[in-house]
Amino acid sequence: MLLGTADVEALARRAPRLESFATEPLSLPGVELLQATFELEGQRIESFFPPGLHPTLPVLAIFAFWRATEGPLGAFTLAQLRLSCRSGARPRQLLVASFVDGERACAALNARFAFGARPAIVQLERFYDRVDARVCVAGVKIVDVHAKAPLPLATSDLQFFASVHPAQTPKGFRLVQVDAEYAITRAERGRPVLDAFDAAAFGAPALRPAYPVAAIVALGDIALPRVRYVVRPDVLAFEGTETVS
Amino acid sequence: MRFGIFYELSVPRPFTPGVERQVYENALEQVRLADELGFDTVWAVEHHFLEEYSHCSAPELFLTACAMQTKRIRVGHGAVVCVPAMNHPVRVAERAAVLDILSGGRLELGTARSSTWTELGGFEIDPDTTKQTWDEYIRVLPRMWTEERMSWRGTCFSMPERAVLPKPVQKPHPPLWVTVTSPGTELDAAERGIGCLGVAAASYAEQERRTREYHRRIQSCTPVGAVNENIATLNFLYCHEDPAEAARTGLAMLGLFGLANAHLLFTREAYPTRAYGSLANLAPGPGRREGSPADGSGIPEGMAIGEPDRIIRAIKEWESIGVDGVNFLLNAAETIPQEKVLASLRLFAREVMPAFAKGKRR
Repeated sequence: MLLGTADVEALARRAPRLESFATEPLSLPGVELLQATFELEGQRIESFFPPGLHPTLPVLAIFAFWRATEGPLGAFTLAQLRLSCRSGARPRQLLVASFVDGERACAALNARFAFGARPAIVQLERFYDRVDARVCVAGVKIVDVHAKAPLPLATSDLQFFASVHPAQTPKGFRLVQVDAEYAITRAERGRPVLDAFDAAAFGAPALRPAYPVAAIVALGDIALPRVRYVVRPDVLAFEGTETVS
Repeated sequence: MRFGIFYELSVPRPFTPGVERQVYENALEQVRLADELGFDTVWAVEHHFLEEYSHCSAPELFLTACAMQTKRIRVGHGAVVCVPAMNHPVRVAERAAVLDILSGGRLELGTARSSTWTELGGFEIDPDTTKQTWDEYIRVLPRMWTEERMSWRGTCFSMPERAVLPKPVQKPHPPLWVTVTSPGTELDAAERGIGCLGVAAASYAEQERRTREYHRRIQSCTPVGAVNENIATLNFLYCHEDPAEAARTGLAMLGLFGLANAHLLFTREAYPTRAYGSLANLAPGPGRREGSPADGSGIPEGMAIGEPDRIIRAIKEWESIGVDGVNFLLNAAETIPQEKVLASLRLFAREVMPAFAKGKRR
């Protein structure tokens, strides 16, 4: 099996801190969502993953945007970059970086679910024939992605997978499993276009999203249950999965 | 009951020089032995780009080698991917006919549409279209084999009048099958009068339901060619006199295969579409695990892993629910040494096969 080869100590040094697993679940009603997926190019895809994870072949780079207009954290917009992988036999997405437009949400998502988000201007904008999403940090656009010509799908056609967030936790450096639950009420599929991407700004200068796969445009409720599992990044999931009491 | 062997040709990492050749040579040796022992069919999949899981991208060549090295065993092209970007329908008909000629009329032709994004994306195939192209292929292939000259104006391809040559040995044509992964495909098979080639593990109860529906529906089918009313299921074989050794070795194969299967990037994970309703493929399904017998062996329900008596009981159960044939995976990424695989085949032939009447095609 293909295994990750990233240096665990280097990952640990830049991982955000999660002080406690004792967090409350979070419900976000009526979230607008964009997920644009591209295949990664490059010979060393395994270098993006710790040894406890298996890259998929190919690896998918998923740019995920949420725009919440109501809910306990107020209005905010979130951008994430995640990579498809397996933890043992389970499909997972490894979080590379997050950005949040909304101070309160940024603090809460970091403290409760190890998003490791940085503040930024994050925009998600719906047009008749496309959805545009972008992130700007200190006036510089670091990603500009689109879903072109979205067409309706059944909500049951969409699938979402748990993400794993590297973090310094009370158990040490772990991958925190975030099992976001999606109750989708509207679903569309469009053609993904990536107009700008600054890989270094996402902390992964060698990462090259290339081949466009699909873009999901959706509306629905998102719930983040409390953290139940963490995974050691240095050993396989069969050995390294730990429950959080 | 008909017994077959089934090849993914999985190759373990690291991909050192010679490792793929060794996998192919081991498989050919197994096929020669299976032919001598009385197995009915050798099947080979068509997969592309699936590192480790399957290095069987040109099954027609592997099956030609099988045919040339054997006398009696049938060769199952199981299955050719029916989308133009991978296989033009004329080329499918031509290659199949040549294989039928070279094997002396021993070809079974399975059809499929691929289930992973790794493969479909690699050929830039729109997943929404594959069911439609598959349907067109299975309607045109019998005509290409049986009509002196033919033309076609279809959705996925068109051609002016030509003679598709050569024609197969079997008349009117080799038996047609479709691989069944998602529930419901057995109905597609029945409605078209073609065989059900199970490649996803199902529980006894689920298989019984599928078998019943298939046989009911095929009675009123509109056949695309010669009717092939047969259901075959997939299984794993490791037969050993010592139950503990059988379980240890067989379950290691099963576990490795299941893990490799879970690592495939199935289409819906990458590309949301209603055309692919299931993530499942060859891995033992949940029904199997839940149905594990309470004997402490850990062997899932219905698996042909164990001592001969146990395997006989499992296959009798498949037989009782109307399954016509069982095809066996013999190894996964060479986790079982070749000598053990051969010994397992010999023991199966000596102790298990005699417990079953030779199956006849419906």
